[in-house]
Amino acid sequence: MKSWISFFLPDDEYKKKRMLYFLSEGSVILMFSLTIMMIFSNSFHLDAEISLLLPAAVFLVYVLGRYALSGIEYADIATEGAYKKELKHIFVRTGKFLGIYLLLYIAFIGIPSSQHDWVEMIGLILSISLLWFFVNYISLKRSYHKNKELL
Amino acid sequence: MKNNVKIARIKQSMTQQQLAERVGVTRQTIGLIEKGQYNPSLQLCIAIAKELNKTLDELFWEVDDE
Repeated sequence: MKSWISFFLPDDEYKKKRMLYFLSEGSVILMFSLTIMMIFSNSFHLDAEISLLLPAAVFLVYVLGRYALSGIEYADIATEGAYKKELKHIFVRTGKFLGIYLLLYIAFIGIPSSQHDWVEMIGLILSISLLWFFVNYISLKRSYHKNKELL
Repeated sequence: MKNNVKIARIKQSMTQQQLAERVGVTRQTIGLIEKGQYNPSLQLCIAIAKELNKTLDELFWEVDDE
């Protein structure tokens, strides 16, 4: 089937099908959250920035969460050796991510000038890195257990 | 969907990984098909049948025992 979305989807047909389900579910939830926000927009005031970011965050968290929990990311990890090897890769990737993020932060925002700015920068980078690591870790763990059962 | 993919694959002395690589999917997908937890597309059924030298009937047709 020809569709531009195919460009963003994996080649494996099972994975592709699951991803399409997650994206569709996410879209329905996005519409639902937008409708709720519209209905209650008169009752409480939200900044335009939050109003725009909140539905996008709901969509991303839902799709990412479903993807990580489904155990489809690491489709070929079925042995303990492969699991440990991949876990090391995740550690290395998280380290690289942390380094690149730090460099980009300094390049675009600049070196923090006060102690408060340092704490803010390190806190932000560590939170994002930890989130990145745990999403990958959960995804790997779920994939490993799923694949073990299919051997 | 019940099928005979696992039996046919083992008879050919092929691993899930090898079959997966030959038909262009992941090992997980082959495992799910063998366990009957995923119904493959007709295109994938044909690719699997060709790799295992079987017909679609032999691999995927369910016959009720009476």
